[in-house]
Amino acid sequence: MSAALDIALCALILGVGLATVVGRGVFRAVIFFITYGLLLAIGWARLGAIDVALAEAAISAGLTGALLLAAQGRLRTMKTEAEPPARARLPAALAGLSVACVLGWAWFALPVDQAPDLSQVLPESGVGNPVTAVLLNFRAWDTLLESVVLLTALVGVWMLAQDADWDAALGPRFHARPNGVLANFGRILPPIGLIFGVYLVWAGADDTGGAFQGGTVLAAVILLAMMAGALQPPSVAHPVWRVGLVLGPLVFVLAGIAGALLSDGFLTLPLTIAKPAILTIEAALSLSIAATLALLVIGPPDDQGQDA
Amino acid sequence: MTVWLHLVALVLLGSLGGALWRVWRGPSQADRMMAAQLTGTGGVAVLIVLAALQDWSLLIVAVALALLAAVAAVGFAKSQSPDGAGDPEEIKPAGDWSDLNASEAGDG
Repeated sequence: MSAALDIALCALILGVGLATVVGRGVFRAVIFFITYGLLLAIGWARLGAIDVALAEAAISAGLTGALLLAAQGRLRTMKTEAEPPARARLPAALAGLSVACVLGWAWFALPVDQAPDLSQVLPESGVGNPVTAVLLNFRAWDTLLESVVLLTALVGVWMLAQDADWDAALGPRFHARPNGVLANFGRILPPIGLIFGVYLVWAGADDTGGAFQGGTVLAAVILLAMMAGALQPPSVAHPVWRVGLVLGPLVFVLAGIAGALLSDGFLTLPLTIAKPAILTIEAALSLSIAATLALLVIGPPDDQGQDA
Repeated sequence: MTVWLHLVALVLLGSLGGALWRVWRGPSQADRMMAAQLTGTGGVAVLIVLAALQDWSLLIVAVALALLAAVAAVGFAKSQSPDGAGDPEEIKPAGDWSDLNASEAGDG
């Protein structure tokens, strides 16, 4: 019975993946991609990887969907939504197929059980959630670089702005009918999302959750409030938002330097202060992740609405 | 009980398949979007059943999905407004609905 469930889930995931690629029409592909992320989240949940399922659900259902739909709407208003030429499809299909083949080969070629047993060293990390322990203690260097990558991506998006627009607020000018469905939705959902996002960050130390998942939920909350017109997107130079964007990487680097000066080396956390240090870093990181992801979806400064 | 829960999960996945058929067929963009929202609801249901089967902490994924699946719908409503940043409710209802149903034309 359990096998039947797994087979049905795999068939749905593969079918939706195929439908995303082979179907005609940008809009249909976007919608299928959103449902693909949802099914992947169920797949991860089925495998017991709850943290991955949470991240997949938050990123794909929440942010990627809004981003792709906005891009599709923009293509439509710019009348450039033509299908790619048929001759471009074969190289694209070949490139996709070869990536799949290399990944499949790597799956069989790589040695299986190389990772150290985490349960032995988990008490040394200061937290109870093994994912958080790896992300913020044992492999903190990776996480620090990832948080900087996010910031760099945002700077890259901002560089797409035209010079004349630079001082304008980010993204299009969102508006909604006062007291309409959208405006009310943008007021009702954000408080619930705020509580849930903060809970995820707080619970992430010892249970499912963490800075990235919580930050993504908070980003969706910010995005929703902005799209419903309840919160105006800032300009590039807005001081509070700038502080929010760099706070996470900054606190992380400072904690790393403190470790180098007072403890065994850069980014090492002594067990006595590991848990409060991790919680502080996570709180700052999730604020920065939330601000960065939301502004990534909102887009570069744009003075003329959609006509940039 | 376990067999029963597996059966429920299978039936729910089957209903997801039905919604996915609607995403494929359309014909209007609103049809596809509503079907995607239906898969979101069905996905939450599947996750709750999986939580009962495997691990109750899976419920948190269901909560995340329930909360965030609606963001795509807001994005869709935005993309349907003339300037891509408004609200379909701001337009007159007649123009609004015909626009929603006819906008598939340029989409292939």
